[in-house]
Amino acid sequence: MSKFLDWLDNRSGIRGLVKEALYEKVPGGARWRYVWGSCLTFAFFTQVVTGTLLWMSYSPSAQTAWESVYFIQYEIWGGWFLRGVHHYMAQAMIVLLVLHLMQVMIDGAYRAPRELNFWFGIALMGVTLALSLTGYLLPWDQKGFWATAVATNLIAEVPLIGPMLQKIVVGGVEYGHQTITRFFALHAGILPAALIGLVVGHIYLFRKHGIHVKEPRPKKDSYFWPDQILKDGVACLAVLLAVVILTLYFKGAPLGPPADPSNEFPARPEWYFLFLFQLLKYVPAFWGAVIIPIALGLLIFIQPFIGSSRKGHQFNIGFWWCLLAGSAGLTFLAFSEDRENLNHGAAVREAEWQAERVVEIAQEDGIPPTGAVTLLRQDRENRGRRIFAAQCSSCHRYNGHDGRGYLVEDDQSAPELAGFASVDWTTKLLNYDHYISPEYFGGTAFKEGTMAKKVLKKFDAEETKLLPQVALLLSDLAKLPYQEPLSEEKRERLMDVFYDDLACIDCHDIDSEGEGSAPDLTGYGTRKWMIDFINNPEHERFYGKKNDRMPAYGRDKKLSTEEIEIVVDWIRSTPADL
Amino acid sequence: MSDPKAKKSLSDDSCCQDGKSRRLVIASTIGVSAACALFPFAAGLTSILDPVVRNSGSTAKVPWTRVTSVINLPDDGKPAKFEIILAEVKDAWTTYKNVPVGAVYISRKGDEVIAFNLKCPHLGCAVDYRSKTNDYFCPCHNSTFGLDGSVTDANSPSPRGLDTMHTKIEDKFVWIRFQQYRPNIAEKIPLS
Ligand code: HEM
Ligand code: FES
Repeated sequence: MSKFLDWLDNRSGIRGLVKEALYEKVPGGARWRYVWGSCLTFAFFTQVVTGTLLWMSYSPSAQTAWESVYFIQYEIWGGWFLRGVHHYMAQAMIVLLVLHLMQVMIDGAYRAPRELNFWFGIALMGVTLALSLTGYLLPWDQKGFWATAVATNLIAEVPLIGPMLQKIVVGGVEYGHQTITRFFALHAGILPAALIGLVVGHIYLFRKHGIHVKEPRPKKDSYFWPDQILKDGVACLAVLLAVVILTLYFKGAPLGPPADPSNEFPARPEWYFLFLFQLLKYVPAFWGAVIIPIALGLLIFIQPFIGSSRKGHQFNIGFWWCLLAGSAGLTFLAFSEDRENLNHGAAVREAEWQAERVVEIAQEDGIPPTGAVTLLRQDRENRGRRIFAAQCSSCHRYNGHDGRGYLVEDDQSAPELAGFASVDWTTKLLNYDHYISPEYFGGTAFKEGTMAKKVLKKFDAEETKLLPQVALLLSDLAKLPYQEPLSEEKRERLMDVFYDDLACIDCHDIDSEGEGSAPDLTGYGTRKWMIDFINNPEHERFYGKKNDRMPAYGRDKKLSTEEIEIVVDWIRSTPADL
Repeated sequence: MSDPKAKKSLSDDSCCQDGKSRRLVIASTIGVSAACALFPFAAGLTSILDPVVRNSGSTAKVPWTRVTSVINLPDDGKPAKFEIILAEVKDAWTTYKNVPVGAVYISRKGDEVIAFNLKCPHLGCAVDYRSKTNDYFCPCHNSTFGLDGSVTDANSPSPRGLDTMHTKIEDKFVWIRFQQYRPNIAEKIPLS
């Protein structure tokens, strides 16, 4: 063995190299405060390895980016873990950058003769942020798509060449294939190469000037190997542990629904860019994207010279603390504004629902070559929610919202339709207090109608007690997929209540030829009944001339037959949330 | 590597040739090396710049798209949101047929329809119509717009009002020429 090493050393000089690398003197002994640079190197190393492994399954194009990430996340053995490590290590890198930078500032390690290396460090920070920004788009989900569109619109703020530059980065005017291929080339090629080049220079310069020792020195001088390396290794292990815990806790990185330019989503960047996002609420984009960054950049550039005096050094440290505190404050504001905004919460929850739904369909039916976005666009459940929100929710509600989860600002003026015709729903319908409340007919002309004033209100205690039985009968007629049908005898008995005890038959029909003055209840709440009703509520079978404002969606071609069927199926598919 | 003689000869002009031709040799060396180093970048330059020269179409080519029948619009001026589905959309090597590309808010007063692109002219988020305040609101950086599309709140970061689309009514249908504009400048310049 040693003979082989002798030979190798003779031909390559490897011993000298290793010695040079490991026996760097650490004046004042190994210390925890020096670990951040090593942690960052380790984090970057992890990103290169996990990123390259992700690359083996990732396919950059508008029809395959989300789909391949879906495959990594849900199909590949342990793929979610690999992706999770890449995702959370990217965030850990941002935290480590801040720690490294603050240590350098506080210890004064940025000053002469290390100015050059300070600039290398700042450049490294920029490249790392660029890697995070470009990586955010790669899964091609709603979040990344909308947020990055805002980010690339900011490029146009650069004077003169801005719009041209934006086209080069985006690969055209609209987001598409060329945006992904270009972002991916940046993310996995150009930027990592730049980062490696800068790291080599950074470490070379670090070795040239040696470690900057924070006085007073706590211990005797020692060497990089093994004392400092042990500390560095332990710190890297802690970083690794944190990343693994985050990955396991969140079951990997999130994957939103596939990007869809026609399905708007409120753009929010990753948390470490939120301060910039918030800043744009207060300053013009030109200031936020050009002037302030350039001004701060210039100031940071000359900080090694400012820092040559004691006062200057203190100013520099104060500057960074202020910058950090300002960013933290803006980030906090961004979070709290979103938390207070009910619509934002609804948009996030809808995206979560869509993400779950599209994965469900993909796992059941597979993804067609046109991509996963068509799965959601064609999904009857998703379409049902959207048609309800667009057409029905200005008067009706679904679990109190618009069907998609958003609050409706207009007052409710037609019945709640979640769990329509279920036993709970009909029981409340036949209760006078509920009947005249906005939840049912309180907002309609029927509040003052015969059913309210002359029937429900006039029933005596005995009769009122029988109403839940009629409700049971009515609900049974609907044949809802989630309810058990009544037994034949039970139905007969309830029919008796309908016919004789309460004499509902005087106005409403069930299974008879007669023309009652109130809606025909034959097949009430069935798929067919609902389709016919939505088609034309003014039909004689239903409200006739007494129809309040409900449009005749089918007759007037406001909705196609298919669309009506979709909403009906969606309403009938699930009971109301309680 | 650390041979002192080698170092000397590099800086010593008088070694083998006279100073002038020596400088020429150095200049040529630098030139040749630079050409070799830059060549691969030059080879790819046009590909990188392709999106700049590729004009995806002027405004004249924007097609009229049928959006909705007029009766679907309440005639009290309350806006409703509609998807824009284009017959054909090209994205690099893919041609899509009948795909949604965006959305508009359309409102009607009698025979007059007005349509706004959903995209906020600030940085491109989608604006919401708020019925309580009867205006449009962008949930990204809080721009607000009136029903006529103009910026209403002085604190709005948007430099111009919502982008109106060309509209016409034909056969009881609303037709729109769906167009995107350059974000965040006061002028309305079509993106192409
Ligand atoms: C050679 C180095 C790298 C390669 C080859 C690489 C490759 C990739 C690939 C293929 C993806 C898409 C997969 C997915 O989204 O799950 C991705 C995503 C991402 N990358 Fe990298 N990457 C590298 C370095 C980095 C570095 C240094 C950072 C950050 C500082 C970073 C941050 C990200 C982020 C934030 C994402 C989004 C992940 C997510 O979906 O949550 N990457 N990368
Ligand atoms: S994108 Fe609308 S306010 Fe910024």
